Amino acid sequence: MNEKKGRRREWVKTAAIVFLSVMLVLTFFSNTIMNYSLPEVAGQNITSGTITSKVRGTGVVESGSLYNVKVTESRKVLSVEVRQGDIVAAGDVICYLAEGESTELQEAKKTLDELQDAYEAAVDAYNLALLTGDYHPDVIQNAGTNLPISAYKDQLTGAQAEVNAQQSVVDSITLQMNELKKKIGLTSDASAAEWQAVQAAAAANVNSLSEAVADWSVSDGNAALSNKKKDLENAQITLQNVNNIVNQLNTLNANLADAEALLAQKQETLELLRTSIGAIFNLHSLYDGIAKAREAVAEQNQLIADLESKAAGGTITADVAGTITAINVVAGESTSPDNPVAVIQPEGKGFTLSFSVTNQQAQKISVGDPGELVNSWWYNDVTATVASIKPDPSSPNTQKLVTFNLTGNLTAGQTLSLQVGQKSANYDNIVPNSAIREDNNGKFILVVETKSSPLGNRYYATRYDVEVLASDDTQSAVSGALYGYEFVITTATKPVEAGQMVRLPD
Amino acid sequence: MKKILRKLNRKQAVLIGTGVLSCIIGLTIHGIGGHMAGRLEDQKMAERWSEDGDVSQISCFFSREAAMTEDNFISFEHGLDSALVEASIVNDSENEQARLWADAYSAPGRVSISSERATVEVSAIGVGGDFFLFHPLELLSGSYFSGSDLMQDHIVVDEDVAWQLFGSNDVDGQIVTIGGVPHIISGVIRREDSRMAKEAGLNTSVAYVSCSTLEELGTSYGVNTYELVMPNPVSGYAKTYVMEHIGASENEVEVVENTTRYGLLARFKLLARFGTRSMNSKAIIYPYWENIARGYEDILALLLVLTLLFLLYAAVLFTVLLIRAFKRKTWTAAGVWHVVKDKLERQREKVWALQKRRKAAREEKKNRKKEAVSERIEIKQKEGNEEEKNEKAD
Repeated sequence: MNEKKGRRREWVKTAAIVFLSVMLVLTFFSNTIMNYSLPEVAGQNITSGTITSKVRGTGVVESGSLYNVKVTESRKVLSVEVRQGDIVAAGDVICYLAEGESTELQEAKKTLDELQDAYEAAVDAYNLALLTGDYHPDVIQNAGTNLPISAYKDQLTGAQAEVNAQQSVVDSITLQMNELKKKIGLTSDASAAEWQAVQAAAAANVNSLSEAVADWSVSDGNAALSNKKKDLENAQITLQNVNNIVNQLNTLNANLADAEALLAQKQETLELLRTSIGAIFNLHSLYDGIAKAREAVAEQNQLIADLESKAAGGTITADVAGTITAINVVAGESTSPDNPVAVIQPEGKGFTLSFSVTNQQAQKISVGDPGELVNSWWYNDVTATVASIKPDPSSPNTQKLVTFNLTGNLTAGQTLSLQVGQKSANYDNIVPNSAIREDNNGKFILVVETKSSPLGNRYYATRYDVEVLASDDTQSAVSGALYGYEFVITTATKPVEAGQMVRLPD
Repeated sequence: MKKILRKLNRKQAVLIGTGVLSCIIGLTIHGIGGHMAGRLEDQKMAERWSEDGDVSQISCFFSREAAMTEDNFISFEHGLDSALVEASIVNDSENEQARLWADAYSAPGRVSISSERATVEVSAIGVGGDFFLFHPLELLSGSYFSGSDLMQDHIVVDEDVAWQLFGSNDVDGQIVTIGGVPHIISGVIRREDSRMAKEAGLNTSVAYVSCSTLEELGTSYGVNTYELVMPNPVSGYAKTYVMEHIGASENEVEVVENTTRYGLLARFKLLARFGTRSMNSKAIIYPYWENIARGYEDILALLLVLTLLFLLYAAVLFTVLLIRAFKRKTWTAAGVWHVVKDKLERQREKVWALQKRRKAAREEKKNRKKEAVSERIEIKQKEGNEEEKNEKAD
């Protein structure tokens, strides 16, 4: 029993020793252990100084007035004497050309031949049409002159009027003849033979009555004789009338034949005129074709003359002094009138550079502000000044196009990055950008505050609400209840909350 | 207690021991799960944004077909402002500059970054808005940048990229070029290199550039994420608002409420979707932080199952033991009542006795004080008399 009690006491003693040892270790190292459980923070003191907001952009250097060296002909290049970047004087040879006519001149001469052939063909076609066509004499007389449409209209109207007049003559004669025919008991379509038959019948009647009067005998009586004589007189009167009418008919018939012949002639003239007017336009177009072909030949002759006068000879030279910014030909290939052989940046002419910025960025820039090169160590003598700030045509509502005037040792086509800054302003409280935090109560910074304790200093993160006044790439100016020397937290190994204990790096 | 333990046989003791152990293990696993979820800073924007817990973090993930642009989000932001005014949600902060909501969007892609020393082709995340408010990556040097900065030519790189470009980590403020255009390194971050992070997409170097830089000077695969922290006056308000107004059709967007995704209810829902969760009918590529978050969702669901199993074992065991103990009980309810009553009586007597003693002590103290005061008065009187005598004598 006693042994058991003794063992228990031993156990209690051991447990107490272990407990006390653990407590001792924890007491000695409590600060260290606690420190390691805290987030370690880095930061820096609030400073005062200047903040300059800078706007940066990249653009391509453009020449104010580039000079294009052009040729008007395609000639084979023998050798190119300059390279990009070379400085040339006016008159310096840019490249040598192969001998011979240019492709353009050869082409032009070939075209001239074709145009001349076309001219001759047009003349032949006109003559052929003129000679072989069945034309009214007036038409031939007027060929080659462009009469107005009214002239042709008058000719047609005149011919038609003549036909109509002649027709009325024919109609009048026919009417007279019909009336005469009617008088001798003939229809209007009776022919000359019929009215001659009527004349013959009337004559025969007179003869038979004359014979009857001669054959009169006493036995017949006087009454019969007087009747016969009376009949004879009547028959003679009728014959007389018939003879008169027949004579008139014969005359009118002859007149009708003449009038009809004239009418037919006039109608024929009218038809011919109608046909001729259709053809005259064809003739006129052929005649115009001749005129155009003649003009084309003349123009082509002029072109050839021009090309011959502009022919470059054996060389292409620089017209102005300056720097070669581009060479577009190589030896062995041909020049092209569409592309300049070389581009020269004339001496003493300035450069410009443009880039697009947001409206907010544009507010920080003014015309006349000096620009700096972002990689300024690469360029020594380049100066830039803001020349204009205009709405960017690609997005005029949101962007502005800032244009700089550049001077210095530059080349057109070169890409440059410029920065332009608002005038610096002085601020009392400047913190690194990484110190600024935000939640739904606004922007704030965490300041390390120290509290002394028997075991050493303890550091707490304390929240200070701030308002950001200005920022540049690395720092921000803030306003708030600050003295201006606080230590602000920029980074921490764990997320830090306001009021939380933190530790500083050793 | 000792008596109870003595009454237990070996088998019962073992059973109770395993029950207690199971209970402890279950609670520990639950605690581990909570700790894991708490470590995901990308999912804790709501906590950081408001201490009151009245805001919610919402993430939208888009397919490329949704073709979301910055203009979509600007229009959404304007709509959000008026919706909050309509819902009478106003800023009651003393700070006039304080905002009710913050948002960010991002697009994956690739960029080629050059320094004077080297050129590296890296994965890039084109960011807009307050991306780094949502993703407080560990900064080794420098600071983050924001969509509201004057210049959008800052970049944040990881330490690998910084090392390849300059051979150092302390490179904030250095100028690099992307597509021939100078950019300023704003900060250097530490890239997470856990197994989960690597599998999620952080297995190569990464640079964070502005969306405009990625689109104009790099290769952008299109905006695929929009994140927002906004007031959530009633449960689910923020998520519903975003789903209805984000401007992408349902099969082109997935909306997640980050604030509640690791809650117990959400984990139970996830378990209920076991087997169907992996089915995907939307052509959405998640950013690495969402892949990590989804990975942890799975892990937490598994931990929840384990927690439930351990707690269930303990609960069943104790219930059985209680039932058995109740059946074999040698006590009655009246007996228990008397014992309790006796104990209460004794306790009360003790308290009374204590109060009596204190009262007596107080009275004694008072008496002593009175005596002391009367003594002092007597002494003063004596002194007064002596002085009078002396004056008379003079």
